[in-house]
Amino acid sequence: MNLWRHYLLVVCFGVCAAGLIGRVAYLGVTEHDFLKEQGEARSVRVATIPVHRGVIYDRHGEPLAVSTPSLSPWVDPSLTVLTRPQIALVAGVLDIAAQHLADRLENASGRQFAYLKRLIKPEVADALRALHIDGIRFQREYQRFYPAGEIAAHVVGMTDIDDSGQEGVELAMDAALRGRKGTKRVLRDRRGRTVRDLAYLSVPEFGHDVTLSLDLRLQFLAYRELKSAVEHNRAESGSLVMLDVDTGEVLALVNQPSFNPNTFDGRQASGVRNRAITDTYEPGSTVKPLAMLAALESGRFSENSVIDTSPGYFMIGHKLIEDPINRGRLSMAEILIKSSQVGVAKVALTLGARDVFDVYARAGLGDAPGTGLPGESLGKLTDVDLDKPIARAALAYGYGLMVSPMQLALSYLTLATGGVHRSATVFRQTAVGPAVRVFEERHVRSIVTMMEGVVGAGGTAPKAGVRGYRVAGKTGTVRKVSAHGYDDERHVAFFAGFAPVGTPKIVVVVVLNEPRGDAGGGGEVAAPVFSRVVARALRVLGIAPDGRETV
Amino acid sequence: MKIRRSAWTLAGVVVFAALVASGVEVAQTSQQMRALFSRLSVNQAKQDALLHEHSRLLLERGALSAYQNVDRIAEDVLAMQFPDEVERIIR
Repeated sequence: MNLWRHYLLVVCFGVCAAGLIGRVAYLGVTEHDFLKEQGEARSVRVATIPVHRGVIYDRHGEPLAVSTPSLSPWVDPSLTVLTRPQIALVAGVLDIAAQHLADRLENASGRQFAYLKRLIKPEVADALRALHIDGIRFQREYQRFYPAGEIAAHVVGMTDIDDSGQEGVELAMDAALRGRKGTKRVLRDRRGRTVRDLAYLSVPEFGHDVTLSLDLRLQFLAYRELKSAVEHNRAESGSLVMLDVDTGEVLALVNQPSFNPNTFDGRQASGVRNRAITDTYEPGSTVKPLAMLAALESGRFSENSVIDTSPGYFMIGHKLIEDPINRGRLSMAEILIKSSQVGVAKVALTLGARDVFDVYARAGLGDAPGTGLPGESLGKLTDVDLDKPIARAALAYGYGLMVSPMQLALSYLTLATGGVHRSATVFRQTAVGPAVRVFEERHVRSIVTMMEGVVGAGGTAPKAGVRGYRVAGKTGTVRKVSAHGYDDERHVAFFAGFAPVGTPKIVVVVVLNEPRGDAGGGGEVAAPVFSRVVARALRVLGIAPDGRETV
Repeated sequence: MKIRRSAWTLAGVVVFAALVASGVEVAQTSQQMRALFSRLSVNQAKQDALLHEHSRLLLERGALSAYQNVDRIAEDVLAMQFPDEVERIIR
């Protein structure tokens, strides 16, 4: 018996086994953490769970921004190399140029991730799956749609391709709308497919819906009228703001030019700026009612006071203040109705140095409107030069201060409410916010009565009138500042007002920047827009006529 | 001595049984996990489809009830006109 051969074999096996056990023990004990980490790094991934972005609604529940699930097909170019015929098939389904796709995949060949296309519809994804090409995977994403398009673009804003807010409410409320993506730990196989979920790390939280104060019907009316006015008058730009008198809610806010948030090309345009809150202008005659309010508050003037504006001009230092014609003796109401510079300047110079400034400040000029939209301008209202008579006179007829259309609308809101100041908001309010009384009601009532004359037959803006309803407002025509001082060619046309005067419901401000038509002034250019928008808006809102009745 | 041996055997059987039971349990749990995971995937797909449909319906409703649409139908189809004069309606 060759027993030694038997033992040799046993010893050999024994040595091999001991060697293996030793190696296992070595790896398992000393190298354990390193190996575990390396193994997991190759197979365990933290994947995000995308969530649905909240819907933005108007005040009546009409959708303004909706997310719809989309898929983005991708490949891992380091593992999957598509053949030419495959690329042609894929490009056909995705409706992109085959050469373009081939180039893109070529460029991404060193990487582990390349989109074939972003955000495709589920039907297209199904067609792509039907090609049965190994290695094409889908990432779940959401695409944002804006059904109102251009009409509400400036308030609603937009998101970028990665679904984060860039402008408007989309930006202001991004955190709430976005929700919170969930995360989970998953096991992936060698080809990157998720084989199973290991653990949920954080629970996904869907985005919250946001309801705006906008009324899409009024928004559309405002958009249509402003757009046609800007085109007809060949204006550079224009804005329209409509506020709810009782709550300070923004019912409509439109600007021209606008942009289409549904296309990426449309977003590059200069139309993205929300001019109604970011751009400021000298308000000109539109603030005269507030200057006259300061006069009534001072006690030195009453609604029956008469100012002699003869000979239609006067000098303050070296500066000439003039009216187009000599209007002679004017009552307080007539100063507003005819928009007399001389009248307002004379009144302002009789008042205390800060009186007009204080009224403007209380009306909210120079303050943040508080709409909640990003990029609100504060305008400019300063008391630095109030010791100079020319500065005080200019302030009273609306030069030397800057306001945004939104601020102007808010200052008119204080008149429409009978002297109560409110903040503006673009969000639907369930309760009426805090209101601060800033003017005495009797003074405001007198001013409003005077302002009704502006839209009367002898006023500067008969075209702002609305049949059946009483309307109060004021025009403004402001020369723009250029490098050589005030420019006689370029100007801004305003109309600001509210209706119905009996119980005011809406405040509307119309601004047309640099109209180039034959008609240029606020009464000719901006007032008709006001009239058409208010006439329809009051009916849409179901507000009873308070004016002269015809049977 | 005899008792001790049978106690050991018993303990061995118990441990073995526990081992088998835990093995079965592990297999069952992972099977359950797979089933739940596939249900989750199905539900997620269903949720996606419903969200997609919901957003589409929202958009469709928005398009139909848009003021411009109502305005057009009122004027073109129903031959309604915007009243210039306000008249008091007496019932």
